[in-house]
Amino acid sequence: MKAKLNIRKYLLPILLALVFLAIILFPYYYLVLQSFVPWVKVDKTLVPKDLTIKSFSYLFTQSSSTNPYVWARSLLNSFIVSLPTGIISVLVGLFTGYASSKMNFSGKKLIYNLLVFQMFFPTIILLVPRFMIMKDYVNSYVGLILPLCIPIWAIFMYINYFKTIPDTIFEAARIDGASELQNVLLIAMPATKPISVIVFLTSFTTRWTEVIWDMKMASDVHYKTLNVMLTSQFSRTDALPGPMYASAVALTLPIILLFLAFSKYFREGINFMVK
Amino acid sequence: MNLTAWIFNLPYLVYSIIFFFIPVGWAFWLATTDWNLMAEKFNYVGLKNFKKLFSSSSVIKSFWNSYRYMIPIILGCLILGFLIALLVSRLPKKIRGVAAVGFFIPYLVSGTAVAVMVQYVFSYNSTLSNFLRAHFDNVPINILQSETGFWILVAMVVWKMSGYYALFILSGIESISEEVNEAAELDGCTGINKLFRITIPMITPTITNVVTLAAGLSFHIFSEPYLLTGGGPLKKTTTWYLEIYNSAFVSFKAGYSSAMAIACGLQIFLTLRLITFLMDRVNHKFGW
Repeated sequence: MKAKLNIRKYLLPILLALVFLAIILFPYYYLVLQSFVPWVKVDKTLVPKDLTIKSFSYLFTQSSSTNPYVWARSLLNSFIVSLPTGIISVLVGLFTGYASSKMNFSGKKLIYNLLVFQMFFPTIILLVPRFMIMKDYVNSYVGLILPLCIPIWAIFMYINYFKTIPDTIFEAARIDGASELQNVLLIAMPATKPISVIVFLTSFTTRWTEVIWDMKMASDVHYKTLNVMLTSQFSRTDALPGPMYASAVALTLPIILLFLAFSKYFREGINFMVK
Repeated sequence: MNLTAWIFNLPYLVYSIIFFFIPVGWAFWLATTDWNLMAEKFNYVGLKNFKKLFSSSSVIKSFWNSYRYMIPIILGCLILGFLIALLVSRLPKKIRGVAAVGFFIPYLVSGTAVAVMVQYVFSYNSTLSNFLRAHFDNVPINILQSETGFWILVAMVVWKMSGYYALFILSGIESISEEVNEAAELDGCTGINKLFRITIPMITPTITNVVTLAAGLSFHIFSEPYLLTGGGPLKKTTTWYLEIYNSAFVSFKAGYSSAMAIACGLQIFLTLRLITFLMDRVNHKFGW
């Protein structure tokens, strides 16, 4: 009886949710489908039939004499640029967040005010001067990675999260002789796991999909990220639709898989962000 | 403890000095010059760049377009986000997480990837264009370069963002205590009534968050018009970011584009301030 009641209660919402989800995900389904259909059928079909990986194999084996495997290379570049950014944001967020919320030092207020100022400062103003500072690093990973490696919001995520962790835990550890470094690595790091996951995922994704900076810093095809590679092929009339769809899938799939893998933590983190 | 704390803050400080504070100063100084990104020489022009902004049609268009984008984007994201959140909140607890992630997927699809699809789907010879021409009159030859183009860009942004904002709204809905819901239902307050009298008033702080985030976002639109419309037709889809990028890196007017960026920053700051002020009044009305 009880089970029956539950089914009746949930049947309608589940059906509605499925229909709605199907509508929302339809564009992405279409995008993925077009990358797997034979080239003559691209943009002309909605049913998965005669699927092939020709678009992908064409794309990732495309080479020129000076630049072997340009697309595969650009996919690799996206990882080379985004992974360090994700890791640096977590580490800097953790240490700066810990220092600004759990340590007493002269200048604490100053750092906090600087952070607030930066948080609300429109970054578009920094575009041209940043480019001038890094002018000698055009076409290098240093030029691509460094200027965007520390998102200020990440530091704030940690500061806010540390507010929910009582100071006494760290005090007790100090009395037991723990150094501040041990406090960060052995107590703060495990305690902030959900936030670290969110910060890593978000800064990785933001970096992965960055356009303006990467477009300016990588004029040489050797350093183009996948996103910029796709952007640069965009208006070319000789670009083949099939491989273009394939590169769009290659651009999105790593991010989606990454988020699905961490979805448990992600929900936790969002719930915290809202509060 | 002093020294250790400063060592912990060191990476952030070094980064901020090089990539934030020096650029900020530089930007304001640049805005008073006519430098072109490459030449050895340049002139100090005072406030001329700023004066020029007021007579530039691109700047005026970007200014108003920010609001033209903002209003449908906020409304679209709120309505769609709310629908998704309400639906997910009715699901059994066990599958809520999975469902929320499902609706979240569009957020993870890069704007460039969607632009590829939109470009092909709306191109002249596409199945959709042929279908539209066969069944309707007055279908523009280049759909993206017509009035519809703007709405396609708005739809792309709303599609991408609403699943993300839905997560915020869902958390808000879930934080309403069971007692409030039960009391409302006992008093016969259900359906639409409950939505407008209980659910929405209970989560106005969350709504405030979403409105502010979506408003901020609408100032940052770049890839979609850059790839699909180039700001056209007649600058109807152009944005600040697009114009700043073009004037800096296409026409090489570094000084002028810095002035533009400062104007853009000012508009963002003032608009978000105004929105926060207005939303605070709404919150106040509902007792928050």
